[in-house]
Amino acid sequence: MTYYDDPQVGDMRKDFLEGDSPKGLFLLNAAMAIAYFLALVFLFEVGNRVLFTLLIAGEVFHLWQVLTFLYTVWDTSYKAPTNTSLRSGVDIFITVCGEPVELVEETVRAARLLNYPTYTINILNDGYVAGKDNWRDIEALADRLGVRCITRTVGGGAKAGNINNALRLTENPLVAIFDADHVPHSDFLSKTVPYFGDLNVGFVQTPQFYKNYAENYLTRSSWEQQELFFGPICKGKNRLNAATMCGTNMVIRRSALVEVGGMCTESIAEDFVTGLLMHSKGYTSVYVPEVLAEGLATEDLLTYSKQQFRWARGALDVIFRYNPLFMRGLTMAQRIQYLASASFYISGLVVVFDMILPLIFFFTGMVPVEISSMFLALVFLPYMFLTLFSIQRASNYTFTFPSLGFSMGGFNIHIKALFSAITRERSAFQVTEKQKARGNFLPLVRWHIAYLVVAAIGITYAVIRQGFDASVINNTAWVLINAAVFYPFIQAALPEREASTPVVHKPITKHKHAYGLSR
Amino acid sequence: MAYLANSIYRRAGRIQTQASRTSERMQTTLILGGMMLFSGLLSFFFFAGQSLRLDEAQSLWQTSRSVLDIFTVVSQDVHVPLYHLVLHLWRTLLGDSVITARLLSLAFYMASIPALYALGKLAYNRNVGLFSAMLLSLSPFMNWYGNEIRMYTLLTLIVILNQYFFLKIWKARAPGAWWGYGITIIFGVYTHYFFFLNLAAQAAFYLFRSDVFPRKSFSKLLGMALVATIAIAPWIGFVLYQGQLQNQEPVLMTPTSINIFNAFSQFIIGFQTDNLNTIFLSLWPITVLLGFIALRRNQRLGPESVFFLTTILMSMALAFIVSVTITPLFVSRYLIFTVPSLYLLMTSFLVGYAGNLGRWLRYGLIGIMAITLVIEIFNPVNPVKENYAQAAQFINANVSPQDVVVLSSPFTVYPVDYYYRGAAPLETLPVWDRYAYGAIPAFDAGSLEAQVNQVTADHQQVWLLLSYDQGYEKDIKEYFDTHYQRVLDKTFSDNLTLYVYKLRYDTPLSQVEKKLTLE
Repeated sequence: MTYYDDPQVGDMRKDFLEGDSPKGLFLLNAAMAIAYFLALVFLFEVGNRVLFTLLIAGEVFHLWQVLTFLYTVWDTSYKAPTNTSLRSGVDIFITVCGEPVELVEETVRAARLLNYPTYTINILNDGYVAGKDNWRDIEALADRLGVRCITRTVGGGAKAGNINNALRLTENPLVAIFDADHVPHSDFLSKTVPYFGDLNVGFVQTPQFYKNYAENYLTRSSWEQQELFFGPICKGKNRLNAATMCGTNMVIRRSALVEVGGMCTESIAEDFVTGLLMHSKGYTSVYVPEVLAEGLATEDLLTYSKQQFRWARGALDVIFRYNPLFMRGLTMAQRIQYLASASFYISGLVVVFDMILPLIFFFTGMVPVEISSMFLALVFLPYMFLTLFSIQRASNYTFTFPSLGFSMGGFNIHIKALFSAITRERSAFQVTEKQKARGNFLPLVRWHIAYLVVAAIGITYAVIRQGFDASVINNTAWVLINAAVFYPFIQAALPEREASTPVVHKPITKHKHAYGLSR
Repeated sequence: MAYLANSIYRRAGRIQTQASRTSERMQTTLILGGMMLFSGLLSFFFFAGQSLRLDEAQSLWQTSRSVLDIFTVVSQDVHVPLYHLVLHLWRTLLGDSVITARLLSLAFYMASIPALYALGKLAYNRNVGLFSAMLLSLSPFMNWYGNEIRMYTLLTLIVILNQYFFLKIWKARAPGAWWGYGITIIFGVYTHYFFFLNLAAQAAFYLFRSDVFPRKSFSKLLGMALVATIAIAPWIGFVLYQGQLQNQEPVLMTPTSINIFNAFSQFIIGFQTDNLNTIFLSLWPITVLLGFIALRRNQRLGPESVFFLTTILMSMALAFIVSVTITPLFVSRYLIFTVPSLYLLMTSFLVGYAGNLGRWLRYGLIGIMAITLVIEIFNPVNPVKENYAQAAQFINANVSPQDVVVLSSPFTVYPVDYYYRGAAPLETLPVWDRYAYGAIPAFDAGSLEAQVNQVTADHQQVWLLLSYDQGYEKDIKEYFDTHYQRVLDKTFSDNLTLYVYKLRYDTPLSQVEKKLTLE
């Protein structure tokens, strides 16, 4: 049975947008999260004080994550624009930096078929300044398809600089931005532009859907990881006027963008920061919960890791350079939302601490809290299962174990990004590769494998020291959880993966596209 | 011609379908028969011949009376009379031996196996039904109570049938199911007071998911509540008429979180030593891992699973809350009716796991239950084995008419009396006449000396058999240790120990002492 024949797959383009918000469940979940935290802080005998302090710090972070998640997804209802007749002029920017010509061609062809009266297509060709071989081919493609090609000759500012350059050379009041691989549906503009009837709307964002999700284990897992964000989280942020600008599949009001100085060139997550700046200027945002463009997920772990690093570093920059807590012009809800999104990438540190706790016990016998009963399980298990259930209900049962594994397994990337953000190390913007890289990716999971090896030695040492007692078994169980959670990430790095698992190619025509193209 | 061929083809198809259905039915019957035979053989070879336990001795003692007396003694106990009446009839028809009495419980248990299959098939599918039935037949916990002269397997059977009709009402929309539901309610409320927890869980489920029920279900369910009330009303009246409940049973302790987890542990691995139970419970984080792995796309918690989950959690929670706030009644055996729900729920989860993982987890569960079943059978220090038979036989062989046998706690007189054939009189501490109306007198340390003098007067040796500590066992033992010369102690099973004391210096050497001297 292939992935597509599996009845559990459902409709990948819609399912993640159809979750609900059971308030009773969310309240119970919040109550249990707080109860668990308070129990841990006050009801257990403290073991090692340093470990206890670190444990509580980690739990504060977990509590923050759970409560902000519940706050975000509390209401994910969506209001369609009342006036759908607005048809302002739009400049379409297709950002290109060395992507294969065929891939760009598909996007341009789809853009040409947009069901909208007044728009201009611009290929923003950065191949020349980035030293890519095919920059001339892109110009030739533009000629062939009869669209404008803006090739920069003076670099700077990476993708943001490319967009800012095009802003100077175009004039329509609205700008739609697509990455080279993000193919718009024909109704993209007719479904997004009407929101600009409200003059306060600064930008309209739509989901980033990965049409190659079934290409391999990694593409599927990374899409599943995205579903939670582009589903309930983005829908909830929409309610709070805190939609995240994601850099593609979006429409921006030119005047608003100019007012904030164009796309931010000082961060490698130019979109995220630009959205923040626009919100701080009082512009509102809209998230349209409908897949209106389809792109490509990274197909190998190396590219995935680079992309994750860029996102993490950019998001963490928001905390360390543009701290939304103190930025003027933001509402409290927006401050919380930006902080919640950015702080997600601190989780790598907490994951590491949680996973080394058993190791510390194995080698030293030290524990953060002395537990002599099953009370911890009594408060932890309901909290954990309610949280999982809340996520499943909010995401319409699209959250999966691999997506959890990839979120937690990427701890090394998140930590690297964290230190890079703290030290303000300069990180260059790198365009995400659209073609699969070849090679051995096991070095990317060396920390995960090292953890398993050290844990195995630790378990042996602890068993020799004190036998198979309750503490050793309990900590071994936690190690097993970590090992299982790392498994999807390690699996994606295995070199023989491609050979052992047949790649299933799905004709894109299975889902009818509005623009009528098929590959 | 074509019509004829088509007709033959269709008929052949129907015959083939019927044949495959018949073959599947035959296969199912054989499998279920094999499971029932397995439980029967376990009983025959291992369980039925065990020593009578305290609770069983009480059942025998209570059902040896006339029907009216049975009503009286049961009303003063903490139970309802259906099982006692059936056992009374059973013993009248088939004989008085322990094995005959245990056969009744075995019959209910064996009937539960196909009943659970039917429930599982109705709730999920044939495979879930079969696997759950297999868990029931392998279950160390169920096998234990399948061979105990108590009402627990009858309760299990009635709850399975009651749940079957309850599901039939909303899944199959079968009007006839209301009759079955009503009848099982009447039987259920007379089987055990905890049957009301099952009804409470059903009411809660209706509140959660009234959308799955047919129209007018609310009024019918109210009618059923009325049936339950009217059915139990005469009994409640009789109990109130009889006066206060008598204290003739072991005192239950106020439960803690450990009791909740112990109940789950016993439901899966049965009765094990503290060591093994601790190891099993220490693995509780694995449930988090199982929860993580269960995160699959579109893997939803169907109403059936919500129903079974409600039955388990609500019953546990209510029993726990009442135990902590009003009076202790949290006992795993009282909650035995949640075991089928637990097995069905576990099976539905395991079936839902992807590919080989689900299969290996199912094998693992069967393996764990099979191994712990063997340990439960053969472990001589199994905490629930009460070897009154061996203790009594030892006393029979060694006691002299000049001695006295003293039992504490007093109610252990029931099982000892069943096996005791010695010449010395049987006494209890505190002194209690079980034929007199009223509760067992409370222990009073101040009157211990007088009571000991009363029961030991004119005797040469005292055979003190201590079990079921009610909080004063230590006082009694210390008294004898400090006032008399101990000549022997012997443990027959966990917490069942015999101490022999010389009451006077001129006592000639007893047979035991002679034996000990020779050794």
